[in-house]
Amino acid sequence: MLEIRDLQFSWPGASADSGRLAIGRLSLAAGRTAFLYGPSGCGKSTLLGLMAGVLVAQSGSVSLLGQDWAALRGGLRDARRADHVGVIFQQFNLLPYLSVLDNVLLPCRFSPARARRCTGGPVAAAQGLLQQVGLPHTLWARPAAALSVGQQQRVAAARALIGAPELVIADEPTSALDNALRDEFMTLLLGQCRAAGSTLVFVSHDERLAVRFDERLSLPALNRVQGLVA
Amino acid sequence: MNGLLHVAVRSAWNRRGTLALVVLSIALATALLLGLERLRSDIRSSFSQAVSGTDLIVGARTGPVQLMLYAVFRVGGATHNISMDSVRAVAAHRAVSWVVPISLGDSHRGHPVLGTTPEYFTRFAYGDRQPLVVSQGRAFSGTLDGLYEAVLGAEVAQALGYGLGQRITLSHGLGDVKGELAAEHADKPFTVVGVLARTGTPVDRTVHVSLQAIEAIHLDWVGGAPLPASAGLKIAPEHARKFDLEPKQVTAALVGLKNRVAVFNVQRFVADYEPEPLLAVLPGVALDELWTAVGLGERALMAMSGLVALVSLASLVAVVLAGLNERRRELAVLRAVGAGPRHVLVLLATEGALVTGLGALLGAAAAALAVVLAGPWVQERFGIALQATAPTGEQWGLFGAVLLAGMLASLVPGLRAYRLSLADGLSPRT
Repeated sequence: MLEIRDLQFSWPGASADSGRLAIGRLSLAAGRTAFLYGPSGCGKSTLLGLMAGVLVAQSGSVSLLGQDWAALRGGLRDARRADHVGVIFQQFNLLPYLSVLDNVLLPCRFSPARARRCTGGPVAAAQGLLQQVGLPHTLWARPAAALSVGQQQRVAAARALIGAPELVIADEPTSALDNALRDEFMTLLLGQCRAAGSTLVFVSHDERLAVRFDERLSLPALNRVQGLVA
Repeated sequence: MNGLLHVAVRSAWNRRGTLALVVLSIALATALLLGLERLRSDIRSSFSQAVSGTDLIVGARTGPVQLMLYAVFRVGGATHNISMDSVRAVAAHRAVSWVVPISLGDSHRGHPVLGTTPEYFTRFAYGDRQPLVVSQGRAFSGTLDGLYEAVLGAEVAQALGYGLGQRITLSHGLGDVKGELAAEHADKPFTVVGVLARTGTPVDRTVHVSLQAIEAIHLDWVGGAPLPASAGLKIAPEHARKFDLEPKQVTAALVGLKNRVAVFNVQRFVADYEPEPLLAVLPGVALDELWTAVGLGERALMAMSGLVALVSLASLVAVVLAGLNERRRELAVLRAVGAGPRHVLVLLATEGALVTGLGALLGAAAAALAVVLAGPWVQERFGIALQATAPTGEQWGLFGAVLLAGMLASLVPGLRAYRLSLADGLSPRT
């Protein structure tokens, strides 16, 4: 599903040993959940950017569903990401001026394929997801800015999952949540990913969460280590 | 793309406070540009409407523009007069239908006095061959009995609060000089017998009297000053009628032709007139020349309002650029849900275009409203008829230029956002 081979990436102007990624081999099967951990600044977000096709490796390949991101031109990469990848950030996931429902529907506006995969139409699918993440329907028409951080993260999860993308990427989505909310969110996210059959790559430095995942990947160990198969 | 427009509109609405200020500044700049253009074109048409129906203006030989300035606009003075013999010679030309001599040089409280014949009121026309209309009273008679009769332009009557029967005295020269230096024709007062309807031309500012009256008030004058009382030569108003009041000289003459085709023939005839150096100008041609001369100031005004437009577009760019850093999160979210850097560029350019379009429309509406509301006042005060008609070609051009410049200017923050979102990836790097 997700394949990385001989990846070399460095940010422009990065020094020799920081801001660089070199990963020999990494592959994830469809429907698996992976926990990616490592200290701050080790390149976790960068690796997610590469997986989502927002960043492109200088050499080697990162391919999703057998398609190397680097082989696609910019516009096609964006379209493919819209079709196959859902993203959740640490915070500030939502456009504050759109309603909760419109935020969830955003991927369908950019990807007709995602919209088609929604059973019963995008709006019904969005409402169903919001219900499943436990957001009371009185909040659906409210602007996203009116929600608490915990509620916003649940809306973000619903948005990442709408149209059942093959890959869901989550960049420390629980770091702004307290313990109770965090556990509730984790259960919800993992359950929804399994239900949709989506592969999940979850980044965190909180290793207590690791037990809930199928696979555990330490980025410092992966980086510049050849031939490691996860 | 449809979704993007939706997001662009909602995003802009979210920042409506700041954007409203930009819209306002663009609206002001557009209103200024369009208003000035309207003023310019209407001043120009007021200008060219100052005289019509007159085929040639004959005066002493100077520049055509100068002749127009003093004969039509009462600005400046003639360096030489022309003799009545010359005027009669022109009148005798077989192509000439009528000749109205005019005599300038005196004033009443700053308003120029025009000596002429009663025929002036029927021959002189302005605008689209509109004749002068006497709104109160009548034209002066031109006879000896009516020697001291005056007809006022509409603005003179209004500004000085004069009505029929008002007694006025004329001053020598064009200045509004008071006290010792004032050379008043106080011994020979005039009576207002008529007031003309408003024309929006220099006629409104003019006091009209007969040529004979001009002669009469200067009978006991020599070299621009009254003879001293010691000379014992004072001529009482009623005595003046006994003198020969036929003018020997006038300032200029308006000439109408039987057939306009002969206009260059007559112009040549005047230019070649042996006994005296004369000049005949076609009012339309001289007005064009005059407009070129005053056009410089008008172009400076346009350049100024162009700069104002530039400044408000610069403020559009500045506001959008300044807000860009705070919007990097927003752009990252859009990137995450599948928007490309090109979408981001389109988003910001769309916003700029919307803001500019709204501003330009508001500005055009404000300019049109200003013309409708201030039109009567401007007509009253400055004699310029502002027309609340459809936009002229130039106005459309300016409107389009503002829109285009606004869209181009919006590309600046758009391109910056494009580069930012390329560099940021999924998470803004600050």
